[in-house]
Amino acid sequence: MIATALPDADLLRRYDRPGPRYTSYPTAPQFHSGFGEQALRDAVAASNGDPIPRRLSLYVHVPFCASPCFYCGCNRIITRDKARAEAYLARLYREIDLVAALFDRDREVVQLHFGGGTPNFLDPAQLREVVDTLRAQFHFSARSDLDLSIELDPRFVTPADVAELGAAGFNRASLGVQDFDPEVQAAVNRIQSVEETAAVVEACRAAGMRSVNIDLIYGLPHQTLEGFGATLARVIDIRPDRLAVYGYAHLPELFRPQKQIDAAHLPGPELRLALLQLAIDRLTAAGYVYIGMDHFALPDDELARAQERGGLHRNFMGYTTHADSDLVGLGVSAISHIGDTFSQNPRDLPTWEHALDDGRLPVMRGMRLDEDDQLRADLIQALMCQAEIPVRALERRYAIDFPQYFADALARLQPLVDDGLVTVAPGVIRATSRGRLLLRNIAMCFDRYLNAPHDAPVRFSRAV
Amino acid sequence: MHRCGSPVPSSLRPAPSHGGGVSETTFPRPNPRTLADDGDTLRFCSTCAFSQACLDEGMDKRALMDLHVLVQHVGPLQPGTHLFREGDPFEAIAAVRAGTVKTYVVDPDGREHVLGFHLPGEVIGLNGIDGDTYPCNAIAIDTVMLCRFSFPKIAVLATRVPGIQKHLFRLLSRDIGRAALLAGDWSADQRLAAFLVGLSRRLAARGFSATRFALTMPRTDIANYLRLAPETVSRVLRRLQQEGVLAVDRREVELQDRARLEALAAPVLRG
Repeated sequence: MIATALPDADLLRRYDRPGPRYTSYPTAPQFHSGFGEQALRDAVAASNGDPIPRRLSLYVHVPFCASPCFYCGCNRIITRDKARAEAYLARLYREIDLVAALFDRDREVVQLHFGGGTPNFLDPAQLREVVDTLRAQFHFSARSDLDLSIELDPRFVTPADVAELGAAGFNRASLGVQDFDPEVQAAVNRIQSVEETAAVVEACRAAGMRSVNIDLIYGLPHQTLEGFGATLARVIDIRPDRLAVYGYAHLPELFRPQKQIDAAHLPGPELRLALLQLAIDRLTAAGYVYIGMDHFALPDDELARAQERGGLHRNFMGYTTHADSDLVGLGVSAISHIGDTFSQNPRDLPTWEHALDDGRLPVMRGMRLDEDDQLRADLIQALMCQAEIPVRALERRYAIDFPQYFADALARLQPLVDDGLVTVAPGVIRATSRGRLLLRNIAMCFDRYLNAPHDAPVRFSRAV
Repeated sequence: MHRCGSPVPSSLRPAPSHGGGVSETTFPRPNPRTLADDGDTLRFCSTCAFSQACLDEGMDKRALMDLHVLVQHVGPLQPGTHLFREGDPFEAIAAVRAGTVKTYVVDPDGREHVLGFHLPGEVIGLNGIDGDTYPCNAIAIDTVMLCRFSFPKIAVLATRVPGIQKHLFRLLSRDIGRAALLAGDWSADQRLAAFLVGLSRRLAARGFSATRFALTMPRTDIANYLRLAPETVSRVLRRLQQEGVLAVDRREVELQDRARLEALAAPVLRG
């Protein structure tokens, strides 16, 4: 367990600049349309050819939401027309047919996650049908650590639904809360009571789910220390196994729904930091362990234990205990990570549908990682999960002289060293307890694309 | 490459050691010593399959201008390119300079049988010597570079340079020995161990790391060659990994307990 000390406000302010969240490296803006269907087929074939082919993580994207949350930056479609779910599932099953056939039968599935949108826009019977369809087409692990997880909007799911999901095999759930403060809820168009949230968490536990996560967001309009403090107190009462506390990124030009949010009501940088500080103080005082990059967990949660033994990993679905698996993204806008490639499905429904109706794999863009990309991806993964860079191991693995290869990056890192965020020792670079909240700033020093002057500017959310 | 006592040119000195203790190159990563060194009129390519035979004869390259003119550098060939197919007229043998070449035949039922994998410094096409045509197919598994030797010309040269003839026979018998290696009634563990130990020795002989290398061929090819199911190859490797004998990361293998692997492989390699 590593203690977390908040850097002083002045320091945080200086490092509060936009940056990627590094759920992947390279990040999605580097994907290009030259990577298409054949490239994906080749990537899967190559991954099947590994001496010990990697296990699989499946991601299913459900794009629909019954109601628009104004802060949302996800790919989603607002509708209350439940018939759209059936049409979507018909295409999804085609995609599963096409994709599953590419993988050797002994590629074991160790993780299945439903994200959105709102996965529970599908009713429990439909969700069970998707799980069963996947189970019939892929080889699911019989091991007890198979993760079957779903993001739930507590406003649209009943305890009875949750019981059905448990029966269908779901063993993890993640609930969006963001903030219980009524004024904040009104401003982001998401009215959700403490009671209905607690009831869903209770139902998840009753259904035997081994881990429940709650998402909070700081930096939302009208947020105050009092209001957010009350939210934290209630969430701590509910005591989820895991908590994510994200910083709201106001990028209305990029995410249209955010235009509904009046920037004048957003907390300023001082208050943002105070809100984050409050969350860290309250959660650590309540016994939560800081995992890294916005995530907290109870000390006996698998994530916290995995971090302690160095077994933590990170992919598009966030932190996971499963060692590097190949990630298969299904559904509109879903991202896959097979072997040394990334690929993404079309972000709009019609293009995704047309590809499947034509019997084509719906690949919109992607990229193949070269050796430099893989080296930096390894480095950033270690940083995000273990808060350190294993210099010696990387030198050995990639046959490089680290100080020479990363001379530029180390020069960029020096101010962070001077500010006490990072220590550089022979063989290992480590984030200090102060630096652990600024992992992405450390990672940004090693991002080739971010530091390449010729690249077009890419917009990212703020670091803090 | 050079006779005892002659000064070692700078390009053949061991590459300067990097800070991380990197001293050997992991196959198939390019190594300035084993790939980039193309040789010139005075020096052999570092992966040359014949240089040792010539040097054993007391001939350096200057004395081998004849050989030089009959060698043709081919490549780079892209993965999946056929070097020759079964039934093609036999005209040349080729030495691999970089990459991996697979040789295979297809039986009347259309099933592929992998005959072998050829690494840098090794020669392919030898089994064509017997007849007028190649008796198998040869395909590049990754990016491959070759030296092509016109066979009629090298045969003439062999009559003038007995060492070359001897070397050809040696290569031939090694080829036959390797094929016989898997004929016995060996367990999956023994087959796989023999395969890995064999690769390790062959790569080490060409200056690559003996303990860390990539399996450039897909597991279906390994399985086919070892006459095992692909799932079995993975299962055995996974178990050996759990037992700390080796570590596998994607295509890369690290032999951690060589003694154990050698012991497993011993009966096969002796046979």
